[in-house]
Amino acid sequence: MKPALIASVALSAAAVLALSACGGSSGGSASNSGTTTLKLVAADYGTGPANTSQKYWQGIADAFHAQNPKITVKVQAINWNDFDNQVQTMVQNHQFPDITEGDYFSNYAQEGLLYKASEVMTNASNLMPVFSKLGSYQNAQYGMPFTTSSRTLFYNKKLFAQAKITSAPQTWADVQADALKIKALGKIGFGLPLGSEEAQAESLLWMLGNGGNYKDATGNWTIDSPQNTQTFQFLKQLVGSGATEPNPGTKNRTDLWKQFAQGQIGMINGSPALIPIIQEGKVLSDSDWTSVPIAGKGGPLQSTLGVCDFAAAFKNGGTSKQAAIKKFLDFAYQDKYQIQFDKQYDLLPATTSAAQTLASDPVFGPFLKALPKAVQYPGDTVWANVKTEVQHTIGTAVTGDPSKVLGTLQQTAKKGS
Amino acid sequence: MTEQATLTAKRPAARRRESPARRVARAAYPLLWIGPALALIGVVVLWPVVVMFRTSFQHISPDGFILGSAGGRNFTDLFNEPDLKGVLTRTVVWVVAVVTVTMILSLGLAQLFNERFPGRRVARWALIAPWAASVMMTSLVFRWALDANNGVINVFLHDIGLLKSFNSNQADWLGRPTSAFVWMMVVAVFVSLPFSTYALLAGLQTIPQDVYEAAKVDGASRWRVYRSITLPLLRPAFVVSALINVINVFNSFPIIWEMTRGGPGYQTSTTTTFMFQLKQSYIGESAAMSVINFGLVILIVLLFLRVTRRTGEVT
Repeated sequence: MKPALIASVALSAAAVLALSACGGSSGGSASNSGTTTLKLVAADYGTGPANTSQKYWQGIADAFHAQNPKITVKVQAINWNDFDNQVQTMVQNHQFPDITEGDYFSNYAQEGLLYKASEVMTNASNLMPVFSKLGSYQNAQYGMPFTTSSRTLFYNKKLFAQAKITSAPQTWADVQADALKIKALGKIGFGLPLGSEEAQAESLLWMLGNGGNYKDATGNWTIDSPQNTQTFQFLKQLVGSGATEPNPGTKNRTDLWKQFAQGQIGMINGSPALIPIIQEGKVLSDSDWTSVPIAGKGGPLQSTLGVCDFAAAFKNGGTSKQAAIKKFLDFAYQDKYQIQFDKQYDLLPATTSAAQTLASDPVFGPFLKALPKAVQYPGDTVWANVKTEVQHTIGTAVTGDPSKVLGTLQQTAKKGS
Repeated sequence: MTEQATLTAKRPAARRRESPARRVARAAYPLLWIGPALALIGVVVLWPVVVMFRTSFQHISPDGFILGSAGGRNFTDLFNEPDLKGVLTRTVVWVVAVVTVTMILSLGLAQLFNERFPGRRVARWALIAPWAASVMMTSLVFRWALDANNGVINVFLHDIGLLKSFNSNQADWLGRPTSAFVWMMVVAVFVSLPFSTYALLAGLQTIPQDVYEAAKVDGASRWRVYRSITLPLLRPAFVVSALINVINVFNSFPIIWEMTRGGPGYQTSTTTTFMFQLKQSYIGESAAMSVINFGLVILIVLLFLRVTRRTGEVT
């Protein structure tokens, strides 16, 4: 009996621990004999192996290596669903990447983990000022805007015609009425992705429609404000009426975007990144869909959500490494790579010079014009935590009690880290 | 007896002649053989336990910096989590239901595979498939098969007239917490079956044939033979495989993570996935959850061994 007992206890201990050892990969290796290896971790904007960001970055890394044979850049692209989690795990284990590109959180700057933009970029003033401000912590810039996008409402013109809807929805009431007409065709009226992938964006778009936000103008958290509660009560009613897909709290953006591309969804909030998915789907032609300003409670949004993804450089070695990072970032932020990225993924540039080049472009021009007055996520150090909680739980507000869910989130935001 | 006596008489004499260094070397000799195993247990099992306990009492920033002691705050924070109660209840349901169903089905399957029938070899191979396939892969297959829009299970149900329309609440198996949880339990049973069936099959094959012949001579019915011979003699194999299943199922992460990520909210999370979800923002609290998990597993194992010891000799 005894040995069996000990064995089982040991076994269970091992089993429990196997899980605590999740995640974690090795950081960039230090220099030896004059050569430096940089580890670049980037979010994957691609929709599959054909256009993965791994290729985009590898192309830059190879061109850079040809010019700087002593510096090698190792590229690791991670899909958006896991990006935050994996980067966070690397940081928690102190196995820092050298450069990240994707979400950026000011708490890394607060902890003193990051180089200032001016330390790793020759011309940081070329980055768009409105987003540079968002990447700043205590008046110093750490997050370097790399790509931007703004949100609009996409709708399927074919389905609209079939349902005999003649104009684009402008108000929430329009959205609901139109969605129900499309539902009658056997399709999904409105795609509402409140699952963990990007619930924070979808929620904010609806909050803005009722004059709400995560924070007010003076910087206080307002997640459970009366406006926001009202917004989610409307959403709950919208979901209950069958105007959306069932159980939006479990549906993710990428999956719904793909369904929109297949012609299964009438309306969905999207960014330019939805365009390549539509084209890849080969179901909707360019004249079958269009995008308009997002509907608000009483009329279309005046300013939409502008999202910026940042590059950040971790302090992970001595000055020689810092010099290598600087060389690489200067190289990667050239206009031609900015524009290549934007054309490939239908996103917008983050540098002033690239934006000027694209300003007259018929596709990018209108989006670029709206960018400077775009609304952004809070740049707060608590945002990383709040965002995680929002992603996990805000979707339950449309099936459960909105004020209770929002109240809990407000508590999380106020609790801090 | 006499040989024994001479041996013990000789030993002190031999020892006296040895130098102290030699004696130490002789005493340490077994370590050479068990040393690596001990070191492995120490590094892989015991040390992480120590670190886990230590972490659960530390205040750690979300970025992995230790900000000092947290006292019992991580535990009080954890117990104040509004979702914890549901998570714990769900974990118990998860373990009990999955293991019970698995063991009952395995008993039947093992019996079946112990009989001779044409194609038995192929059938036995086929049973390995769910075991050999990555659990994550199996979960993904089921996730897409249950897709509300065009999942193959929904298409089938629609074809036979059980499902009225796609993209409806009814078709959205993984969107409703209860049905999602049931489906995940189905997957958990599916991937646990091969191991327990093989363990029981091995057990069945060790039962000597003559016991059955004796029973036949005595005129015992088939049910009587099963109850009085097969089941008692199968107990060691049954207990071992049930125990391993309990631990595996309790720790099961990929099924839940791939199929629902514990959502909506935390409504399909068990303590294992909840621990992982907490980790992203609250490392100390997550370690506290680990400590609870650790305690739970040990408790389950002890309880289980106690129960089985009472009902009969195990090992």
